[in-house]
Amino acid sequence: MHSQSSVAQPLKQRLRHILPYYRQNWWAFLLGFLLLVATSATAALIPYLMKLATEALSDPAGNGDLSIFVFALILVALLNALFRIRSRTHIFAIGRQVEYALRKAYHAKLLALDADFFNQEKTGDLVSRGNNDVLAVRMFIGPGFLQVANTAMVYAVTLPVMIALNPTLTLLALLPFPLILGITRLLTNRLYRLSRAVAHRFGLFSAFVQESVAGVAVVRAHARELDWNQRFAHESEEIYTAQMRHTRLQSLFGPMVVLAGGVGGWIILWVGGQEVMEGQLTVGDFVAFFGYLAILVWPTVGFGWILTVLQRGLAALERISQVLDTEPFMLLPPAEAGPVSAFHPLPARRGGIVIRNLHFAYSEPVLKGVSLTIPAGSFIGLAGRIGSGKSTLLNCLARLYPVAPAAILLDGRDIMSLPEWELRQMVAMAQQESFLFSATIRENLLLGRTDCSEERLWEAAHLAAFADEIRQFPKQMDSLVGERGITLSGGQRQRLALARALLMEPELLLLDDIFSSVDARTEATILDNLHRIMGQAREGGGGVGRTTLMVCHRTAALHRADRIYLLERGEIVAHGTHGELMENSILYHSLHQQMARHEALESLQ
Amino acid sequence: MMPPVMAETEETRDGNFFDAAPYRLLWRFFRYARPYRAWVILALCLLPLSTLLQLWQPLLIQQAVDQHLIPGKPEGFAGLLFLFVCLIIGQFVVGYVQTAINTLLGQRVVRDMRRELFAHLLSMDAGFFARNASGRLTNRITNDTEAVSQMVSAGMINLVGDLLLLLGVAGSMLFLSARLSLVTLVAMPVIVLGTMLITQKMRTTQREGRLLQARMAGHLTEEVEGRETVRLFHCQEKNRATFDRMNRDYLGTALKSNFYEAFQFSFIDTTSTLVVALLFLYGGAIRVESGITIGVIVAFIDYIRRLFFPIREISGKFTTMQSAITALERIFALLDTPTAIADLPQPRLLAQPVRGEIGFQGVHFGYGEVPVLRGIDLHIKPGERVAVVGPTGAGKSTLIKLLNRTYEPQRGRIAIDGVAIDQLPLAVLRRMVGMVQQETFLFAGSIADNISLGDPSIGLERVRQAAVETGAMAFIEPLPQGLQTQLSERGTNLSAGQRQLLGITRVLAFSPTILVMDEATSSVDTLSERLIQEAVERLLDRRTAVIIAHRLSTILHADRILVLSAGRIVEEGRHEVLLQRGGLYARLYALQFQEK
Repeated sequence: MHSQSSVAQPLKQRLRHILPYYRQNWWAFLLGFLLLVATSATAALIPYLMKLATEALSDPAGNGDLSIFVFALILVALLNALFRIRSRTHIFAIGRQVEYALRKAYHAKLLALDADFFNQEKTGDLVSRGNNDVLAVRMFIGPGFLQVANTAMVYAVTLPVMIALNPTLTLLALLPFPLILGITRLLTNRLYRLSRAVAHRFGLFSAFVQESVAGVAVVRAHARELDWNQRFAHESEEIYTAQMRHTRLQSLFGPMVVLAGGVGGWIILWVGGQEVMEGQLTVGDFVAFFGYLAILVWPTVGFGWILTVLQRGLAALERISQVLDTEPFMLLPPAEAGPVSAFHPLPARRGGIVIRNLHFAYSEPVLKGVSLTIPAGSFIGLAGRIGSGKSTLLNCLARLYPVAPAAILLDGRDIMSLPEWELRQMVAMAQQESFLFSATIRENLLLGRTDCSEERLWEAAHLAAFADEIRQFPKQMDSLVGERGITLSGGQRQRLALARALLMEPELLLLDDIFSSVDARTEATILDNLHRIMGQAREGGGGVGRTTLMVCHRTAALHRADRIYLLERGEIVAHGTHGELMENSILYHSLHQQMARHEALESLQ
Repeated sequence: MMPPVMAETEETRDGNFFDAAPYRLLWRFFRYARPYRAWVILALCLLPLSTLLQLWQPLLIQQAVDQHLIPGKPEGFAGLLFLFVCLIIGQFVVGYVQTAINTLLGQRVVRDMRRELFAHLLSMDAGFFARNASGRLTNRITNDTEAVSQMVSAGMINLVGDLLLLLGVAGSMLFLSARLSLVTLVAMPVIVLGTMLITQKMRTTQREGRLLQARMAGHLTEEVEGRETVRLFHCQEKNRATFDRMNRDYLGTALKSNFYEAFQFSFIDTTSTLVVALLFLYGGAIRVESGITIGVIVAFIDYIRRLFFPIREISGKFTTMQSAITALERIFALLDTPTAIADLPQPRLLAQPVRGEIGFQGVHFGYGEVPVLRGIDLHIKPGERVAVVGPTGAGKSTLIKLLNRTYEPQRGRIAIDGVAIDQLPLAVLRRMVGMVQQETFLFAGSIADNISLGDPSIGLERVRQAAVETGAMAFIEPLPQGLQTQLSERGTNLSAGQRQLLGITRVLAFSPTILVMDEATSSVDTLSERLIQEAVERLLDRRTAVIIAHRLSTILHADRILVLSAGRIVEEGRHEVLLQRGGLYARLYALQFQEK
């Protein structure tokens, strides 16, 4: 557990991420506290008024006073309700506000962090921190404060009144209370552990069901249904056992509290009753004691419960802090890329690339000293076997991973010094497995754009040879694509991703094997379109077109490339046009032959 | 405590409670409680007892005040005290047993229901799994049943108890003083309506909150999984705004639900105090002529407090039941979906020993409207080795999947040793027809378990023998735990070649009479390739075999090659003959097999 390492940290250090919220809201907390004081004060008046009313009722002569007490009772009860509602909503609202702000900060942090961080974390875990842990922190701030303050207040107000009425009886009636506190504390702690065990079992159980459903074909093919049913029976028995272990304790909770309150009441009846009989206590006092006891029971239980909540809140905060304390990789100061101001025109953006001795490793080296120069406006192919480093090279160019300073220059500027917004304007990429969001086609296309005419949208779809198919969807551009674009075919997903990248109108377009699920004819159409629009000279581009860098696993794209770089084990082993490479490189020749064969086989259908 | 919400599912929504159909579902559901009749009866019997224990206490206090405290008579007070402490302890014990029984019932019923669901799921045909997302099916068994269990635990039975308590409180009050009860009666509609209304409101906003929470979780999940895309398209700002909107909506709902919660919290306290105030007022007014004692007033104060509890419980339980009923609807819908492929009521058995002769007569098959096989006629002799080749989409894998009734042909007949396969028991057929898939699916568990699939008739010795025969032992032996080595989910800690070897070993261990095989296309290194080929040879030995061929050696060693194109057998014969004919086979051979 993360929390164990942090036990030694001082509280202030552990609370560093929420302390500012406490400071911002100190007056709100103060107001909340005052409201609680008012609540407790009015609450304590009620049993006292009941005592007075009972006494007035017992006295056959004093019926006149009774109505005064009754009206006071009504007034105080209403006031108490008002204070109670106000104090609770007020204090819980602080917790909710902090929850909102903390979740916002957490989300912003996730957006800022990069690949290095995510590669070490599990998605489910990160999501759970943003949801459940933030919730636990909220419980720490809102209900945590309320409960602690409330318990303190209730005792501070009620106890003196009780002692003033009858010290011995107070002491005796409260005898079971330390027990309530202790038992609640013990129970909530153990229950928490047991419920974690249930959750863990439930996780295993779900995993088993999931795996069985995924592997049902194997079970069926070997007629092993009976055995799987037995395994399932076992798994469901395990979860039943874990549940029952939890239940045995959980079931104690409610009755235990009632018991403790009951025993307190019994003591009042016993001791107090005797004193009433002996005339040392009035019936009214007796009634009041019952009332006070009722007031004290739940705050005491709540206090025991809240200690566990506080503990959990701290652990959750720790888990959130770990993310908040992580820093994204640093960009170089833009100054090194030369001064840019309103008076100096931006350097020409054309999409020329220089790569100098680029090394890159995930855990093992993938790129080992790649150097190449790509003139702006060219159409470049990257070829090589699986795992040769092609995709990694594109990922580096898109700055999905940090590279060494001055290893990659884009139009003469170090890409590590380009501000994010500028880089993303210049470079767009369609990945091998492009991620689509469960939204409409339109929203997926407009991912990187805020303003875009309908015409543009369709044009981009048309360029990616996807427009006709969109027209056939019942809702056209507003059709939902499902989680990860599940309602689209592989080829449709690839073309949607391409259209999305084209819509960015980048100077440098990176395409990572985007034709693997697209048929040959469509591929040719798209390549023609790409050639045309990327070749068009643009404003401020110095008369040349834009640059395209494409990982190719099919022949058509290779044939059209201005130049092809051949990668092998993270190094560029050959380059040239298709014709040149066919003559000079055995590796390229055999790769090309493999692709051609594969394509011919496909065309047989 | 509620389970954490990780994503938006249909389970986070609830249906309409005021339909008639739900009650039929409940009725059907009660059948599941039948094995636990004794527990149900015990729980029901405890209800009046628990009500009695609770209602007696205020009466005792009334008695104490009126007969002992005020007159100052200690005689018999000790007995009363003893009775009182018995009631308290009794209430504790009964309360504990009740909660425990309820949860036990809920858990047992759900356990049984889960087993039935799982068994049903396993019996479903392949088409069913193709139509239904696996996540949804998993949800039926895990989360939907959990909702049902909550309904039972939270107290279908206690619902009766709550009503009983309500009636009991009313009865006791009437018994003590009919006239004072009138005051409470007047307040009753306010109490019931107020509590019901506020509880409903609270639950609605809470559910709204959970839904929003689920949406945020969904958003976060997508964002984390699609983080590279977010970065590439620089849409952090846009996402921040979207998320902020959800976060803000959630805050809004939360604040609303805070208010309702606080309101509910105070409503009961305050209303009961107000009723008590009325009681004093009215009691004071009528006291002289009606002879109401102080003790009665004290008891009334207690009863009024107890009146609210069951009302709140009842309205809370209705909402739990709503979610459970929608869950039940989905569960029963799944249970009512029949499997398309099942045993005949009286299946036939083959004469032993099985020879392994296969016949296809005019077999047609299509997935929905799309025809895949269009008239396959085929006769395979016992022990014959048939290789199937053809372009992608020709229907090769469908052809072999018909042989173990993964799918059922729409027309035509498939027979083994002259008996139509749909006449055979499924279990027998599938043990007889061994199937090696392109991708070997491995389960999390030991290697041995993955080979035997837990079949008790395949002991460790047989597993070892099979692994030795296929040569898989060569990589298993050096592992520290050998055959007992645990595999990770899907066997990701093995190489592709090793997984294929295990798949072959598994089928060999089951020693089928007929073998169908879809050769793997994924490339493995030369050494593994040779090992796999040797293993396949061992497996094919003296068995009737139909193989979708991707390796040169397979077509060269086949007794006969079938060339499939667009759902028909277009060429048939031995390699040399087909090659000479210069048709589709010759072209396929040139592209796919030559030089490999």
